[in-house]
Amino acid sequence: MITKRKLVKGSAISGGIALGYARVMTRGVPDIVELVIPATRVRGEIKALEEAVEQTVDELGTLRDTAGKKMGLAVTKIFDAQLMIATDKEFLKHVKQEIAEQKRNARSVYHSLVQATTLPLLGSRDIYMRQMAKDIEAVSSRVLSHLSGYQKSDLRFPPNTILVGDYFSPGEILSYRQRKAVGLLVSEGGRNSHMALIARALMLPVVMVRGIWTSVPNHAKIIIDGTEGTAIIYPDEHDWSEHQKKKKRHGPALITRIKKLTQIPPVTKDGQSVQIAANLSLLGPANEILSAKKIPVGLYRTEYLYLAHDDFPDEDTQYRYYRRIAEQYVGTSVVIRTFDLGYDKLASRNFWPKEDNPALGWRGIRPMLELTQIFKTQIRAILRASTQRNLKIMLPMISETRELLRARKLISQVKFSLRKENIPFDADIETGIMVEVPSAALAADDLARKADFLSIGTNDLTQYTLAADRMNSKVAHIYNSFHPSVLRLIQQTVDAGHRFNKPVSICGEVAGDPLALPLFIGMGVDTLSINPNRIFDMCRLVGKIDSHLVRHLVGSVMSSSTAQEVTKKLEEYSRALGKRRTFTIRK
Amino acid sequence: MLKKSVKIMNKLGLHARPSAMLVTVASRFKSEVFFTKADLRVNGKSIMGVMMLAAEKGSEITIEVDGADEVQAMEQIVQVVQSGFGEND
Repeated sequence: MITKRKLVKGSAISGGIALGYARVMTRGVPDIVELVIPATRVRGEIKALEEAVEQTVDELGTLRDTAGKKMGLAVTKIFDAQLMIATDKEFLKHVKQEIAEQKRNARSVYHSLVQATTLPLLGSRDIYMRQMAKDIEAVSSRVLSHLSGYQKSDLRFPPNTILVGDYFSPGEILSYRQRKAVGLLVSEGGRNSHMALIARALMLPVVMVRGIWTSVPNHAKIIIDGTEGTAIIYPDEHDWSEHQKKKKRHGPALITRIKKLTQIPPVTKDGQSVQIAANLSLLGPANEILSAKKIPVGLYRTEYLYLAHDDFPDEDTQYRYYRRIAEQYVGTSVVIRTFDLGYDKLASRNFWPKEDNPALGWRGIRPMLELTQIFKTQIRAILRASTQRNLKIMLPMISETRELLRARKLISQVKFSLRKENIPFDADIETGIMVEVPSAALAADDLARKADFLSIGTNDLTQYTLAADRMNSKVAHIYNSFHPSVLRLIQQTVDAGHRFNKPVSICGEVAGDPLALPLFIGMGVDTLSINPNRIFDMCRLVGKIDSHLVRHLVGSVMSSSTAQEVTKKLEEYSRALGKRRTFTIRK
Repeated sequence: MLKKSVKIMNKLGLHARPSAMLVTVASRFKSEVFFTKADLRVNGKSIMGVMMLAAEKGSEITIEVDGADEVQAMEQIVQVVQSGFGEND
C-alpha cells in the first residue's frame, strides 16, 4: 500500500488530466459468501436472481440506447452481446437448479458458475478468448450488484472521484462517466482496447499502470495525467497547483470554449484565412460543438469502426455512420480516411500476417489494395452517404503513384456500379492522399497532379525521414518533427500542391503545436487538422500572426541545421509575438 | 441423433460474435444441440456454454443434434460454421 507521495509512470491510454480522490473498485474479489439456505428460501432466492437479471437487462438496454445515440452503432454491438449473456436461458436454468439442489444462496451459486465459464477462457493464450471472459464478467458483476440489493448505478460519485480498478468494460465506462467520475487509473488494457477507445471518445482521462490498483488506498488524493501516462498518489501542494494549471490548458473545458470563437475559419492579422479542422475518431461529445461552429473535419479515422466492431463493419452499418457524420457537418466538410490498419493498429490480431518489420510492412493503403472487397465496400458506403456533397475520401500512406492510381481505379469501379444501380452519390467527390512517407513528399509533384488534395501526416513522415521510432526510448531523442529535413519535405509538398492548385493540409501532431503555427502559415499550408482540444488556442493564435512577416521566419528556419536550432528560432518568434505563456506539448 | 465434426476456420475463432451467431441458429430448432471440444460438452443453445469451449481457430468441435428437425438443424449449423460466420478474409 502506498502511504506517502509517489509518482508512478505507466501508459497514456486516454488524454487529459484529473485531480481528485481515489475510489477503488474491487470487482473480481467481491464479498461473495456461500450460505446454506433453508428449503423455504429457495423460491425467494430464485426470484431475487430473476429480478437481478431483469434489472441488468434494463440497464444494458438503456446503456445500449445511450451509447447508440452518443457514439453510433459500433458500441451498441458490444451491449448486444452482453444482453445475450445476461439472458442465457440454459445458463440461468442451471443456476436455479443448483440453488434448489445445493440449497445455496443465489449470489454464490451464480458467481461460481460464472467463474466456471470464465476460467478456461482466462487460461487461453488467445487474446479474443480472454476478451470474452471480460465480457462475461461485465455482465455478471452487474447481476451480482443487483442481487446484493445495494449499489445503484445511477448514483453520482462524490465530486472529483477517480476510479481505480483492474479493468473497466465499455459499459462500465459509459455509466461511470454518467455518474461523473473524472478519470480512471487501471492495471490492464492497452491503447487499442475497447476501454481506451470509448474513454477517448468520451474524453475521460485514463492511465494504465501495471499492478497499481491493489496498492492505492481508498480515498487517497491522486492526480492522473492521461497525456503523459503518469499518476501521483498523495501529491504535494506543488503537484496539485501545477496540474491544475495544466488541466486548464488541455482539458475538455477547451472544447466548450470553442463556442466562444467568433470567426471561423480564423483570420490572420493581415486578413488571410487559415483553415483549422478537427481530427476525429468516434462520434463523441465534441461533435455537437464542432459541427455547430462549422469547423470542418480534416481527418475522420474509420479504423475505429473496425476496432469497435471487432471486425470490418458491413456496408449498411458503415453507410449509417458516414451519413450521420455528413448530416451533422452540413455546411462544412468531412475528410473520411479509408481504413488505416496494420503496424500499430491491429498488429496483435492473429489473422494479420506476422511481420518482421511492420512499420515498413503491410499497412495503410497496402492491405486495402489486396483486400479489395473490403476497400470497395467502404468506398461504396462513403459514396452512398455523399449526397450532401460534403464528404471527401482520403487514402492513407500512399508511397508511390501506382497505389493512388490503383485506388482511383477501384473507386471508379464502385461509382460505375452505383450508377448502374441508379443509386445517387456525389460524382465530384474529391479523393486525396496522405503524404506520410518521404517518397511521397519527394514525388509530390506527380501525386499532386493526380490527387485532389494532399494531407501531410507528420508523425509517420518524421519517423520515416529520420528512421527513428519515438516509442523506442533509445532513439526517441532523434524523432523530432522540427528537424530541417522533415520541414523541407513539408515545404516541398506544399509547393507541389499549390503548383497544381491542390490544397495541402497537415494532420499530424505537430499541426496542433502553437510553436509551429507561424511557420506553417508562412509556408502556405491551407489547413491544419488537429485534436479538438487544441482548436480554441490555435484559432486564437492565428489572429496574432501576420502572414507577410512570417515568410522571413520560414527562410531563417529552413537554413537551420538541427531541430534544436529550429525550436529555438520558433520560441524566439513566439516570445516576440508577445505571448507570455509558452505552450509546450512537444518534448 | 446426428453427429458431425467440424473445424473452426474463421480467423478469430469462436469469439463473442460467432458464438452468438451459433447460438441464435441452434435456438431456432426444436432439436437438442450439443457441442463437444476435447472432453468438454456444452449445450448449443447457451451462449455461456459455447463461449466456455474457448474454441480458437483450427480447433475441432463435434456437433450433436437430436430431435424431430435434426436434419435441417445440422445442415444450418454446419453451414454457418463453414461459411466462417460471414467474416471476410
